[in-house]
Amino acid sequence: MLNYIARRLINMIVLLVAISFIGFFIIQLPPGSFLDVELQRLRSLGGDVSRDQIKALELRYGINDPFLVKYWKWVERSSRGDFGTSYMTDQSVGERIWGRLSVSLGLSLFALLFTWLISIPIGVYSATHRYTIPDYVVTLIQFIGLAVPGFLLALILLIFATRYFNQQVGGINSSEFMDQPMSVAKFIDMVNHIWIAVVVLAFGATAGLTRVMRANLLDVLNMQYIQTARAKGLDEAVVIWKHAVRNAIHPLVMSLGTLLPALIVGETLVAQVLSLPTIGPMYLDALRAEDMYLAGTILVMLSGLLLIGNLLADLLLAWVDPRVRLE
Amino acid sequence: MTSQPTTPTTTATDDVVRVEDLQVNFYTQLGVVRALNGVSFNIPRGKVLGIVGESGCGKSITGMSIMQLVASVGKTEGGKILFNESAGGNPINILDYERNSPEMRKIRGNNISMIFQEPMSSLNPCYTISDQIEEAIRLHQTEDKVESRKRAIEVLTKVGMPNPDRIADSFPHELSGGMRQRAMIAMALSCTPTLLIADEPTTALDVTTEANILDLMRELQSEIGTSIMFITHNMGVVAQMCDEVAVMYLGRVVERATVDDIFYEPRHPYTIALLQSIPRLGRTKGILASIEGSVPDPYSRVTGCPFHPRCPVAIKGVCDTILPEETIVDAAKGHTVRCHLYS
Repeated sequence: MLNYIARRLINMIVLLVAISFIGFFIIQLPPGSFLDVELQRLRSLGGDVSRDQIKALELRYGINDPFLVKYWKWVERSSRGDFGTSYMTDQSVGERIWGRLSVSLGLSLFALLFTWLISIPIGVYSATHRYTIPDYVVTLIQFIGLAVPGFLLALILLIFATRYFNQQVGGINSSEFMDQPMSVAKFIDMVNHIWIAVVVLAFGATAGLTRVMRANLLDVLNMQYIQTARAKGLDEAVVIWKHAVRNAIHPLVMSLGTLLPALIVGETLVAQVLSLPTIGPMYLDALRAEDMYLAGTILVMLSGLLLIGNLLADLLLAWVDPRVRLE
Repeated sequence: MTSQPTTPTTTATDDVVRVEDLQVNFYTQLGVVRALNGVSFNIPRGKVLGIVGESGCGKSITGMSIMQLVASVGKTEGGKILFNESAGGNPINILDYERNSPEMRKIRGNNISMIFQEPMSSLNPCYTISDQIEEAIRLHQTEDKVESRKRAIEVLTKVGMPNPDRIADSFPHELSGGMRQRAMIAMALSCTPTLLIADEPTTALDVTTEANILDLMRELQSEIGTSIMFITHNMGVVAQMCDEVAVMYLGRVVERATVDDIFYEPRHPYTIALLQSIPRLGRTKGILASIEGSVPDPYSRVTGCPFHPRCPVAIKGVCDTILPEETIVDAAKGHTVRCHLYS
């Protein structure tokens, strides 16, 4: 097993290098560069930029270096923990990403937990009470959940939160807590703010996973070993939760691998609507401004999360089902 | 084989299970399927009763009904299933209990246990063999983990597992079909039940393994004294395993006799036809006999004797209108038949 994990880790590093190379290449493909975007901005402000100034800026940002040189500089510095400087703000990329990535990650993990806690019991209920009124209600809500886009739901919740609960919304903290260190009051304030985002992010995913859980459990309940378990004299609840759910949960575990990055990127629109300082909107801005180092680093980090998520999902699956355990 | 054909059945006084006029209907979207139309038979204590019939005649449903494990679309709408735990005791009607009631669950796996047809899928792939056997032992016998493990190993040894300690910690997918069926038998016998219902336990196995498993079951049966209800469609298996036989057709028992009477003095035309359709090495010439027609559509109801459309000796005007009653042809041996030829 350890051998297997080691092999997977080496594979992951190779993959990350390949992704970073291709990603970096694609990001710089569009004509022009960050400097053009910047010059346009300066000119639109009315100022004129002299040829010497442009030269100096080009030199400073290494705009005219060949692709491979740029890539190499970035990789070499990244390996020392320095991901370069963002063109847009002159801040270090690491610094800019870190705060936002932690918000994104926290939000996604909350949403993931929420998704699982809701979709498994509801899926099980729906399957064991098939073709009853509660099952139809659940199914209806699921289809609504799949069909309503996240940002719309976010807007609706925002209106309810401000109008009926008199809540300050948007961002992750109220203004009075903005620059204060973490405290109980600040944490409560944070929960008050992010529940909308968590609900919105979890809603769509929950709808899908509940459907999958229901369908799988229905298949498993027809298996012979469920009858065997009943024939032993086990209580129906034990039969369902111990013998059936464990065999029906595979797709949920596998979806964990792709759900993590999907939640992080999927929140872009929702984060825009709720003005949350997450990684999604920043990634979008960086791509539009051709801020290569920032965009490249975010891309590699998201890919890393995808790979780690998949590894975790595989390990979890091996723990759940002995048939996939590897020697 | 230890069957004693000449011993008169003492069944009237000591039956493990007595099924009386059991009726089970399935309510499906296409209509009502009358799966069991008044099934009556008894399983004498310590004997092996074979239940024989074509697919769809209700053999498995009968077994499932005794365990109260029929799918929820199937409704038991009449009859009694009297279970008598020990000789001379008071029989209880299993149907008085709710499906998932504590009383019913106490009977399941403890007093009555069951082996299924598919050894490949009848064990949960996520748990080890010992986990699954110990689960039943801990539920009914002892909650002590060391003790239950010890008993699991014992029962695995009893069913002839070559390396019980290693097998106990194996997962089902690591065992062959024959081994899995042995593990299932071990699980079913782990609480030394009074009655074992075996629903075609060897149908999915190859003939060599089948012979081994049948020998094993016979051996364990005489050792533990468990009564067995052996559901099969294979007359060869019946000859090897059973003391007595009930032949079923379309949800009714049409003939009930000792195993020797079934083979040497079959009375019901259906039993006779079943026996004629067994190929015999060296003896069959030409085309093998088969029963004409096929089992009627399950949603329709046949008037009169359910077998009359396929019966070669059906009496016009009688068999197609009047349902034959159960008639005793040999009281001493407990031979009964449902056919107008004998009434």
